[in-house]
Amino acid sequence: MNAQNNSNTPLIGVRSVSFSYSSKNTGRALNRVSFFVARGERIAILGHNGSGKSTLVKILGGLIAPTEGTCEVNGINIQDIEFRDLRRTLGMVFQDPENQIVAAMVEDDAAFAPENQGLPPAEIQARVDDALRRVNMTHKQGASVSALSGGEKQRLALAGALAAKVDCLILDEATAMLDPKGRLDIERTLREMHSEGMTIIEVTHQLEAAGFGDIDRVIVLAKGEIRWEGVTSDFWDMAETLGFGVPDSLKFRKYCDTHRLKFPDDMAGINPPPLKFPGSENPGSERFRIRGLSFRHDDKNKALTNINAEIYAGEWLSIIGRTGSGKSTLVQHLNALYKIQEGQIFLDGQPLPQKGEEVHTLRQKVGLVFQHPEDQLFSPTVKDELAFAPKNAGFKGPELEEAIIFGLECSGLGRDFLGRNPIALSGGERRLVAIASVLSARPDCIVLDEPLAGLDASYQKQILSMLGKLRDEGRTVITITHDLDAALKHSDRVLILRAGSKIQEGRPRGIMDELMKSLEPEAWPEVLRISAEIHSVNPKFPLLYDYQELLSCISPT
Amino acid sequence: MYLTNINLGQYVPTGSFIHGLDPRAKLLSLLLIISAIFPSRTAIGVVLWAGVLVAIVAASKIPWNIVIISARPVFFLVVFTFLFHIVASLFRNTGMLQALNMAFFTSSRLLVLMLFAVMLPLTTAPLELADGLDAMLQPLERFRFPAHECAMMIGMALRFIPLLMQETDKIMRAQLSRGARLDQGNIFQRVKAFFPVLIPLLVIIFRRADEVAIAMEARGYEGGAGRTRRKPLIWRKTDTLIVILSGLAVALFIILGA
Repeated sequence: MNAQNNSNTPLIGVRSVSFSYSSKNTGRALNRVSFFVARGERIAILGHNGSGKSTLVKILGGLIAPTEGTCEVNGINIQDIEFRDLRRTLGMVFQDPENQIVAAMVEDDAAFAPENQGLPPAEIQARVDDALRRVNMTHKQGASVSALSGGEKQRLALAGALAAKVDCLILDEATAMLDPKGRLDIERTLREMHSEGMTIIEVTHQLEAAGFGDIDRVIVLAKGEIRWEGVTSDFWDMAETLGFGVPDSLKFRKYCDTHRLKFPDDMAGINPPPLKFPGSENPGSERFRIRGLSFRHDDKNKALTNINAEIYAGEWLSIIGRTGSGKSTLVQHLNALYKIQEGQIFLDGQPLPQKGEEVHTLRQKVGLVFQHPEDQLFSPTVKDELAFAPKNAGFKGPELEEAIIFGLECSGLGRDFLGRNPIALSGGERRLVAIASVLSARPDCIVLDEPLAGLDASYQKQILSMLGKLRDEGRTVITITHDLDAALKHSDRVLILRAGSKIQEGRPRGIMDELMKSLEPEAWPEVLRISAEIHSVNPKFPLLYDYQELLSCISPT
Repeated sequence: MYLTNINLGQYVPTGSFIHGLDPRAKLLSLLLIISAIFPSRTAIGVVLWAGVLVAIVAASKIPWNIVIISARPVFFLVVFTFLFHIVASLFRNTGMLQALNMAFFTSSRLLVLMLFAVMLPLTTAPLELADGLDAMLQPLERFRFPAHECAMMIGMALRFIPLLMQETDKIMRAQLSRGARLDQGNIFQRVKAFFPVLIPLLVIIFRRADEVAIAMEARGYEGGAGRTRRKPLIWRKTDTLIVILSGLAVALFIILGA
């Protein structure tokens, strides 16, 4: 292999690759895709759901063969490379860390690849130590995998690939399931490895501001073809036309450049105009009243401590807090999945039922959508799926038909979806069906846990507008989310939990101070980070979360 | 009714001398001990074995409450055995006192036996356990028995069972939220009511299995041939000693029992 291993041969060469899942070579997932990746380069392949990027990953990793064209590593067709040699050149990290970790203990898992290579024990141990050090996990080497956070698990998966001593890492949506902190940790590790000369190919549906400046090149994939290709700085100028969001921090940097403003010094003298308070001034009637709610899981510390709160009809409440702050435990009290141990909850003035037939009535009134609800679909048709909850709630005949149509209309999907099999739909459509399958019971209150996670921009927008509409109809909408931007921009009120206690609740505008204290700076909305920096040189400048508002404060005209 | 708290005998590293033993030694000793407890007919025998168990738990430095929690699923079986004996005695017309006596003896014998078994995964890392099984089953490969694959499967099961438990719990909660009646009606209604949990679970299991297989391939796994170990199994003198001790104890009990 060394013969081709000179600097002129690109590490990865994709030559006119096409792929079709059908044997007749119709409906191609990839169509004549060509590009090269040089040794030491870090590139991002961007595409929306269904753009063919997952297929491309499998071809790049040699896991499936292209229908037409070739994929080359060091100038050799991937199909002709010995399995063992290929696996020493290419390492892969996938979306769900759980599905990549094969052993129950951290060190045992990191050792899997070098063990497969048949290395002597001392060498395996050296590889494991080195890989864990590089992903900053040395302190967890003896830990059990089940005790790791999502971000740590993904770093372990990264270490598992590194331990094979690969030249190139291919990451398939590797940060999509992580919280902001976890993403940043992965980004730091990638930066370090890139600086040490590792070739990195990231496949993702959204480029993050954190990767800006370190990613050399961007390739945009759409409908199985390359739509755009260029250096990262050029990409941001094109991003909106290509259907990708631009992080606020980059928009702001550009704004400062074009207006020749020095950040933050030039903003020290600004006298910002008074701010308007958006959102409904008069909340509807009180729906939930929570008094002194505490909860303890079996033989563990308190999950909730003395929570007091009111939640109203016709309002959208966002509950935010770190992983493990008690958000899920709190909302699962609202439909009696968790029984009250201490304290009280009232729904429309009545104590919340805890058992018997009344609980079923409660669950019709308070709908709960779990994380990744598309994993809970089970019916042969969308119609049956939508009928499940209303049937359980006792809907019959025309009432049931109406309920099904109501759910479907909320989701924005057409009538033709009723007869289709949920399993065969795309990920985004499945999410919509899953949410609709809870809404079809026509609940007064709908609670959603991370409804936007893992979706691309267009589906996120659709779900946000659906929730806004439900709120405007007078229903109560409660969301749990890591996505602070969405929480602050769309909800009427925000409730912050920390270690099982309520830290604050209020209008988004009123909680900025507390937000900064409760969350690590990495998790702050970018506009908050910018306005906080201006605030530090100009105390008159307010703490903000909305980009337009930031601009109107900087140049009031 | 929820499953999150079931901790199916997950490994608890304490660095004790029991943890350091070769998994093959532990497996062999366990086999010997179980085969001795099963036929034991005297209460004295059960009490003595319980004593051995207490000594082993103490040596393993694993707190008793963890042992108890890990063995929770076993308790159902023990209670069932107890009740079964009581009910059976009603049909056999034996005296109540004698039936109680018998039920107590049988169920406590089962309990001691199960607790011995629970100690194995608690003191042995899943991979070590799999490696130990792999090594012990190796001779069967000659008869085309897939020893490595079997061991790998058990190792993977130990890794994924807790995860699938969480998954099941989450699906149950989601379907209860949609008004599912999982705990009402007769047996047929209940089985039918469980489909909304079972089907998504199967879909998840197959998807996970598929993704895990791809991830393993990406890390260069192609079966047991040519694979080495980070920590090769090393059989020490203490391992021989433990197996001999177990053997002697078993012999002693059989002689005393007879």
